[in-house]
Amino acid sequence: MGVFVCLPLVLPLTALPIARLAEQHLHPRSATRLLAVVGTLLALCSTLCLGLLVVVGTAQLPGNPLPDSWSDPQVRDAVPYEVNAGIAAIGVLAAVIGACGWTVYRHVRLRIRAGRALSAAPSVTSDDVAVLPDPEPYAYALPGKPGRVVVSTAMTRCLDAGERRALIAHERAHLAARHHRYLLAAQLAARANPFLLPLRTAVAFSTERWADEEAARVVGDRRVVAVAVGKAALFSHRAPDASVGFAAFASSAPAAGPVPRRVAALLAPVPQARLWPPSSAHAALAALVATAGTAVSALSSLNAAVALVRILHAATPL
Amino acid sequence: MDSARPGHHPDNEPPREEVPDAVGPDPVRPDSRRLRRRGQGELEAQVLAVLHSANGPATAGWVQEHLDGDLAYTTVITILSRLYAKNAVTRSREGRSYTWTSASDEAGLAALRMRRVLDGERDRDAVLARFISALSPGDEERLRALLARAAAPDDPDNPLGMEGR
Repeated sequence: MGVFVCLPLVLPLTALPIARLAEQHLHPRSATRLLAVVGTLLALCSTLCLGLLVVVGTAQLPGNPLPDSWSDPQVRDAVPYEVNAGIAAIGVLAAVIGACGWTVYRHVRLRIRAGRALSAAPSVTSDDVAVLPDPEPYAYALPGKPGRVVVSTAMTRCLDAGERRALIAHERAHLAARHHRYLLAAQLAARANPFLLPLRTAVAFSTERWADEEAARVVGDRRVVAVAVGKAALFSHRAPDASVGFAAFASSAPAAGPVPRRVAALLAPVPQARLWPPSSAHAALAALVATAGTAVSALSSLNAAVALVRILHAATPL
Repeated sequence: MDSARPGHHPDNEPPREEVPDAVGPDPVRPDSRRLRRRGQGELEAQVLAVLHSANGPATAGWVQEHLDGDLAYTTVITILSRLYAKNAVTRSREGRSYTWTSASDEAGLAALRMRRVLDGERDRDAVLARFISALSPGDEERLRALLARAAAPDDPDNPLGMEGR
C-alpha cells in the first residue's frame, strides 16, 4: 500500500487535459457525459481514499470504533500508519462532507424557493414556459416536476420571434436532457477534490453548448441561435442592474469568454457526434490519460479498501 | 409616478385601467389566504395579493383587515412602503393617509418573488443552467464582431479566427 493509497487524491489532475480539450474536439453531448462520469469517479475514489486515511490514521485515537486488536503492533506494521496524515484526513474529510452537503442543500433550496415563487402565478405557469415581468434580463431552466423555463420580459423583448424560439428551445433542451444533474455532479466532484474545479467549469460550458446545438437542431438555423445568444449577452451586459459576482470563467482578459466561444461554435459547422476517435490526436491522448487516471484511481482505492478490510477482518478475533 | 411596471409583458397581462372603478368585488383568491407566513418575502406577497384583490385603491387599514394573521398596522405600512420602493404598488394621498394600488398583477407578483429568490442566491449559476453568463472585458468586442459576421448572410465556412482559441 504505502504512498499509493494517496494516489486517488492527486489523480484528478489527469482529467485536466481533456477538460481543456473537450470543448474543441468533442461533441458537447459526449464532452458533458465523459467529463461528468470521469469527474464523479475520480471524486468518489478521492473521497474513499480520504476515508481510508482517516480509518488508518485514527487507529490510535481513543474512542475510535475499531476493534481493540487494531492497535496491535503487528497490525500497525501491516498498514501504512501515520497519525498526522490521519488526523489531517479527518479534517479534510469533514470539510468535503460539509461542502457537499451544503451544495446539495442549496441546490434543493433554490429549486423549492423558485418553484414556490412561480406557484404565485398559476396563470403564467400553466405552460412549461413562465414569462415574468422583470426589468432584469434573465432566462433559466428550472428543473423539477414539471420542469419550467423562466424568462423575464426584459430578455424576451431584446430578441425577435425567431430568436425567442431559439432561447426557449435552448432552455427546454436543458430540461429534457436533465443538465442540472451533470452540473450538480460536477459541482460535488469539485467540492470533493479541488483539482476537479476546471472540470466543473468545462461541464458547465459543455452543457450550454449541448443546449445550443439542440436549439439549433429544433429551430433549424444555427445562425439564429448564435444571434440570440449574442444579443442576449450584449443586452444583459448593458443592463444597468445586470447581476454581478458569479463565478468568473475568464476574468483574465486575453482568452475569449464562454459566450463568444459559444457564438463562434454556432457559426461554425455542426460538430461531429462521434465519440471515438476524437478529431485530433491531442484530444485522443488527453481522453486516454483521463481514462487511465480514472482507472488507476479506482483500482488504487479499491485495492486499498480491500486490503484494509482484510486486515481489519484478520485482526478482529471472532 | 408611472404606475405601470416597466417590465410588464403585454401578453401576460390582462388589460387594466389606471384607476379601476370598483366593478363588483373581486373575490379574494383562496390560495392567497392560505399562504402561511414565511418571513418578509411571504408577507410582501400576501399584502400584494390582498391589494390585488381590492381591485382598486385601498387603505392600509383595509389591507390589514383582509390579511390573514394579526399583523400590526405599522407592519402593514412598512410592507407597503417596501413594495412601493420596488414599484410593486403605487400610492396616492387621500386626506391624511395614503391609498395604495397594486401595480403588479399575478405575474408581477411571481416576478417579484422569483427575483428575490435569484438575488438571494449568490452562486445561482451553479444550480440553474443560465442562458447567458458574464462577459469579460474583451468579450463585448468579440461578440460584436461575431454578430456582425453572422449578420452578413451567405458567407459559409468562414474560418472565424478567434484570438482566444
